[in-house]
Amino acid sequence: MSAESEDVPLYAERPEWSDVVPVPQYQGVDALAPINYSAEYQDATDYFRGIIRMGETSPRVLKLTRDIINMNPAHYSAWQYRYKTLIAIGADLTEELRQMDDFALTNMKTYQVWHHRRLLLTALRSRDAAAGELAFTARVLAADAKNYHTWSYRQWLLAHFNDEERLWAGERAWVEDLLEKDVRNNSAWHHRFFVVWSSGVREGDEDREAVGRRELAFAKEKIALAPNNPSAWNYLRGVLEHTKTPLSALTTFVQLYTVSSPSIAPEVMDLDNPVPTEGAQLPCVNALEFQADIYEQEGGTQITKAVEIWKSLANEYDTMRKKYWEYRIKEGLQTTHT
Amino acid sequence: MSASTSTLLIPLHAKYVQSLGESKDDLMYHLTAHLRMNAIYWGLTALCTMNHKDALNREEMIEFVMSCWDDEAGGGFGAHPDHDAHIHSTLSAIQILIMQDALDRVDVDRVVKFILSLQQPSGVFAGDQWGEIDTRFLYCAVNALSLLGRLHELDVEKTVGYVRQCRNFDGGFGAVAGAESHAAMVFVCTATLAILDRLDEIDQEMLGWWLAERQVPSGGLNGRPEKLEDVCYSFWVLSAMAILKKVPWIDSDKLIAFILSAQDTDHGGIADRPGNQADVFHTHFGIAGLSLLGYPGLADLDPVYCMPARVIERMGLRKGWEGLPRKAS
Ligand SMILES: [Zn+2]
Repeated sequence: MSAESEDVPLYAERPEWSDVVPVPQYQGVDALAPINYSAEYQDATDYFRGIIRMGETSPRVLKLTRDIINMNPAHYSAWQYRYKTLIAIGADLTEELRQMDDFALTNMKTYQVWHHRRLLLTALRSRDAAAGELAFTARVLAADAKNYHTWSYRQWLLAHFNDEERLWAGERAWVEDLLEKDVRNNSAWHHRFFVVWSSGVREGDEDREAVGRRELAFAKEKIALAPNNPSAWNYLRGVLEHTKTPLSALTTFVQLYTVSSPSIAPEVMDLDNPVPTEGAQLPCVNALEFQADIYEQEGGTQITKAVEIWKSLANEYDTMRKKYWEYRIKEGLQTTHT
Repeated sequence: MSASTSTLLIPLHAKYVQSLGESKDDLMYHLTAHLRMNAIYWGLTALCTMNHKDALNREEMIEFVMSCWDDEAGGGFGAHPDHDAHIHSTLSAIQILIMQDALDRVDVDRVVKFILSLQQPSGVFAGDQWGEIDTRFLYCAVNALSLLGRLHELDVEKTVGYVRQCRNFDGGFGAVAGAESHAAMVFVCTATLAILDRLDEIDQEMLGWWLAERQVPSGGLNGRPEKLEDVCYSFWVLSAMAILKKVPWIDSDKLIAFILSAQDTDHGGIADRPGNQADVFHTHFGIAGLSLLGYPGLADLDPVYCMPARVIERMGLRKGWEGLPRKAS
């Protein structure tokens, strides 16, 4: 498991550690009693327990905890004690971040990796460091564009340091780039909503009506590219809801996606209503659902049209969720009768 | 010769869970020491759901749980005897002791004090003194306080306030304020609100639809759009749907077939998806999902507390959830 091989001596064999009394792992209950695993791991954790017992915080504790973390990235006591030691000895926290960069890249799914950085950034209170971390998370997300902990950490950085010029300014362009690479990346769609709508007003975005138009156009353009993409449709609905725009405002656009065969591209491009990309699978379930919602909101005789669509979803286009569509039909018909 | 994956191999899985306590000489066992308490809870709950509770020794289990008591932290349980107290292992410990009818072994006042000490000014809970925060820990706290009959000591408004902050435009919930919707977080937030009788905070139609959309053509469920299906989401997604009474909205036959196909027919246990290595986590959540889908021969599992329904009912804590009716075998 450990990167270093056999030629590294055990802690038990190092004279500079002879003052520490190793504390073996608890072995009380027989049926659950362990042992026989890696000698290095056992040795290091025995000395770690010894250090905790002494309450020592010193540079050598950093070496020891690093060894343990290398062998077991989820060892949260080692992380916790490492952080405590860094603070106690006044270590260079920026240096600690750099030391941990490669480790974070290879262990990005481990929560502790990100929590450690968050604690370091909180202690550093530096916007420079935060900007550096934005660049670092961008590197990690380039390797795994959906890593949950990395995304939450980035959102925390933005909100915590909240610096328009140094942090927020490049955010929308950056996430747009990610969507350029993968239009179905739900994490990126979520982040766009976070940046544009749910964390204050960005510089240059003060005209909210214009922002609303821009975002609808953006979502429509991405839907045209890949119509069967729930993330983009969710975003579209999110914008409508947030700006209190009725669904029916998009009737013309949605109808391009509810037909079975694509309509012939108009001679004059309608920028507000981009047509589905060639070869797209139509009709699109999200569009049918959207259209039925429009009819349902209009009410009255339009309910019949909504019911027709729901029936087609239940029996043909989305049979896995048949019961859901049948429920919508029942509910829809009930409202017309009351 | 392997058994077929068309039925749930109950005796084989019971044997698998039983055998987990025996193979302690491999490295994986020690690398997962930080989950030991949770693993015992997963194993025990799986056995209870399969009506094989006695496959693990009660006395040994209670003794192990009590050996994880962390006196210095002020009254919680660690995942392992020499680990610091953590809210997740504390919840697991309480759940195990309740299932084993041994809660009288615990100094409840001190546990409650430990749990409450982890609530942050924002309303969220930290997992331990180190300070990792997210809605999973908040759920652990609310669940444990409810099981201990001490919910009245919780600042409910503050707690619900944080859950509200984690709600997203798509109707789902994230791990922290601002984070993407994720099925596991949808479960913890929904179950928390159910325990606190605050389901009115949720747009139930919208969330029910988001959950139903998690079913992919293989029949399995994923945790976020465009992610791979995974057996453990059979619990995260389904339990939230059961709390909202929307389980019928997805294709249960296809989901049952998916979970069964992830069984290890030679050694027992269930994996995250077909062909992968089985583990106790996915075994438990796969069986839990099957229970909510009315699979024959299983006991009812309470989706709010993720414990045997019988136990929760006896404690008078049952909320208004609904799984599918139990099928006759
Ligand atoms: Zn899983």
